[in-house]
Order: sequence, then structure tokens, then C-alpha cells
Amino acid sequence: MRVKPYNKAFMVIHGTLLSLVLLTVYGFYSFDYKDVNFVEASIQTLQNVKMMFIEPHFSHFTFQEALYQVAITLGLAFLTTVFGAAIALFLGIFAAQNLTNKAVSAVIKGVVAFIRSVPTVLWVLIFAVAAGLGSVAAVIGMTFHSVGYLIKAYSEAFEEVDKGMIDALKASGAGWWQIIFQAVLPSTATYLVSWTFLRFEINFAVAVAMGAAAGAGGIGFEMFMASGFYYDIQEVGMITYFILIFAILLELVATRVKKNLKTAEV
Amino acid sequence: MTTLLELKNVSKYYSKDIAALSNIHFSIEEGEFVSVIGPSGAGKSTLLRCINRMIEASSGEVVFNGTNIRKLGRKGLRETRTQIGMIFQHYNLVTRLTVIENVLHGRLGYKSAVAGMLGIYSQEEKQQAIRLLEELGLSQHMYKRVDQLSGGQKQRVGIARALIQNPKMLLCDEPIASLDPGSSKIIMDHIKNISASYKITCLVNLHQVDVALKYSDRIIGVNKGEVVFNGKPSELTTDMIHKIYGSETGDLIFEAGERNAG
Repeated sequence: MRVKPYNKAFMVIHGTLLSLVLLTVYGFYSFDYKDVNFVEASIQTLQNVKMMFIEPHFSHFTFQEALYQVAITLGLAFLTTVFGAAIALFLGIFAAQNLTNKAVSAVIKGVVAFIRSVPTVLWVLIFAVAAGLGSVAAVIGMTFHSVGYLIKAYSEAFEEVDKGMIDALKASGAGWWQIIFQAVLPSTATYLVSWTFLRFEINFAVAVAMGAAAGAGGIGFEMFMASGFYYDIQEVGMITYFILIFAILLELVATRVKKNLKTAEV
Repeated sequence: MTTLLELKNVSKYYSKDIAALSNIHFSIEEGEFVSVIGPSGAGKSTLLRCINRMIEASSGEVVFNGTNIRKLGRKGLRETRTQIGMIFQHYNLVTRLTVIENVLHGRLGYKSAVAGMLGIYSQEEKQQAIRLLEELGLSQHMYKRVDQLSGGQKQRVGIARALIQNPKMLLCDEPIASLDPGSSKIIMDHIKNISASYKITCLVNLHQVDVALKYSDRIIGVNKGEVVFNGKPSELTTDMIHKIYGSETGDLIFEAGERNAG
């Protein structure tokens, strides 16, 4: 006895799954294996991983230098987040439908959706055309994407603000800027801070990648040199640990700040 | 007694043929306490909001203290709004700020944009806020965040915020609809006292006929966007109440027999 009917949805799902299976099989069959022995290759990869993570060392720079490079990467993330937050706060107010007219909001939101749909790396490369590969292009490109991301986050936070509260201040004769600063921003402060922190974490990860991809300097660039230039897998491992530790530290600080903001609420 | 507020043929259409208000015509004397009663959706809130132009009326005149509010420009409207305090059913306070900050918000209309944005208030304004909070029995909650207060306390903060405007008139949009009977009595007593002692005219939207009867100098009954009754509480007969609410005898929780119970 059949429980599921042979309808269109059933056919589509099963057809998709079947074609995926066939494509996978064909893919493995058509790979160019270059006479690599699977077992041998696996063992060598594991050896590399072991060297990377069990025997990490510094050879081309010292611990202090590594700290300094991480600080540069953090600086890049911090700078772009601060720039992004400042611009986004201003534009986010104009993008919130309940605070401005529909046309202004729609224009800003449309542009912002476009900015966000292009990845950060691409923006950096686009700005590299004018500024040349390096830290300037990285700062502009990362700021650009941060602005796009934060405008969306901020404006949505502003739109959640209780309409009655705005009405009450309007009815007492308060002006638009007064309402923004006295009611809208205080009511949304926790959201704004937590979105900004989230973006800072994203920007840290992007800044590592930008160091390598756009030559923006910092720990990412050292990692690129260690792997692509010196083939020093052990140093790559060390740098990975460095980045990991700093990412965890960032996460801890962010959690602590958010917690403090929350307890201040009660 | 001089006329403070006069509505002349005020109408409001939300869509082309549905009138939320049609040809509303009444006036209020200085110092009067007037209640507006009527079923939900009758246009009570719209009526109140058309006075301070939180909702734009479609036609007619709203004359407040000698000026036609509907003809005012942006600046004039702001100035006039400072003269009219408003109290809401859901209090509409900035819950993440302290009680005293919320009270001081009532002064924003009098301040320059920058001073208001940064929340810079004069010593007198702060002292007035403290005085009002003492009067309303909230002085020990002054530095608490509003979200820690009970409903009745929040409404008292709302009243203080309206009073610090030094208004000529208070518009109260169902001030006790979300409160328990005890808090409701405290709030209505406060509004009544304020009206009497500061000579502030009050226009109060109410759901409770018995409350309207007890506190008002005059009652305006609204049904389907029209004024169907305008007179003293003693003139409000049971038949009239049924006419206002469009109901049959026995359909209402309130009946005239209870009139003297409160």
C-alpha cells in the first residue's frame, strides 16, 4: 500500500536526488587522478596536518612581531567597523520607514541591498583599481560592505521602535532630531551595539583574508607569505593558532559586553 | 468662562466613502472636564488626534485658543502642541530611560533642537519635574527605569510628562483602559484634581460610562463618527446610552441602576 501519492512534488524531489547521485558518480569517475595513490595521499595530508598543528613554530618572525601583526589586523577590522557604524547610523535613520518618507527609505534600502549582494572581497578588489592593492583599498572596500550590512541591521532595529512612543513625543511638540536622540536611539541601543559587535567579528575574519588577498598587511599577509612563499607549514600552524586565540578572545569580550548591556536593562 | 476649543464641521475620511468622523461640531470651555464615550471604532481616538493633528482631518476647522490649528505651519503646530498635553492608553513612554528623563521629555517642544537632542534641561525644569513626581507620589521611583514600574505608575509618569508642558488642555486617550479598577481610580482622581487645581481643560476618551458619569462636567457621546449626545451627566438617560452604543436594553454591562453605586 502506498502512503505517498505520485504527484509533481514527489517526482521533482526524487528526480533531483537521482540526478545529483548520477552527477557525483560521474564526477568521481572523470577526475584526473594523476596516478596519486589514495592511501599514500591521505597519509601525507595527515602528516602535514600533524606538522601544522602539533609542531608549530616561528621561523621568519618572532612572537612579538606576530602580536604586532595581529594588532594590525585587529586595527583594520576596528577602523572599518567604526567607519561603517558611523555612516550606517546616520543613513540607517533615513532608511527606517517609520522615521522618514517611503521614497527615501526605498532608495537607501535598494542601494544597500545591491552593496550587500557583492562580497566584501570583490569590493576591495574594485576599489583596488583606483587605490591600488593594499591597505587603502581594503579599508574602503570593507567599510563599504560594513555600511551596507549595518544600515540594514540598524534600520530594522529602528523600525521595531514602538510607534506610540514617537507619537507621544510628537504630540508634545518635540522635533524630529529630538525624537531620534531622546527616544529612538535609547530604545535601540542594545541592538545597535550587538549588531556592531557581530560586524566587528566578521570584519576581523575578513581582515585576515584581506591581508593575503589584497596585500593589506597584518597577520593574514604573514600567513600568505608563510604558506605561498616559504612553504613553511609549521609557521602556518602557529599563525592559525594565533588567529584562533584572538577570535575566541573577541567572542568572549563581545559576550561580556552584551551581558552587561542586558543586566543594565533590569 | 471663555471657549478654549471649538470644532467646526470636522470630518475625517480614511477612504473615499467611509467617514471616521462626519461634521463633528462642539466647543469646550476653559477648565471644563469633558468625557467622550462611544463604542469601539466610533471615532473617539480619531477625534482626539484630529485636535492636535496627530491625524489630519479631511475638512472643517479646529480652533484652539483663538487660532485655527488646521492652518498652522510646521513651527506654529509645534508651538501649539506644547500647549496640549496628551495621555495614552499604553502610556507611550521610553521604557529604557528613567522616570525623570521621561518626565523631562515633556519640555522638548520648548527647547532648541540641539539642547533637546542632547537632553540639556535647565535647573527650573528639573525642579518642576521633581515637584510633579512628588505630587503624583512617584518621588522614590525618580531614577528607576520605566520598565520596572507597574501600569498605574507608568500612567502617572505619563501624566507628569504632559503636565510639565504647562498645557492649557489635556487630551487623554483612554487613560485607564489597561489598568485595574484601583489604579484606574487613582489615575482618574489625579486627572480630575489636576483639571481643578491647575485650571487645565480635559478631554478624556473613556470606555466606562460609570467613570464618565462620575468625573465629567459634560459628556459627549459618539457613534459612527457622529456626535449623538452632548450634555451634562445628569441628562444622560439610559435610552441615550443605548443610542450611543447602538445596543438594546440589557445588552450592556452597565445599566442605569448602577449609576449611584460608584
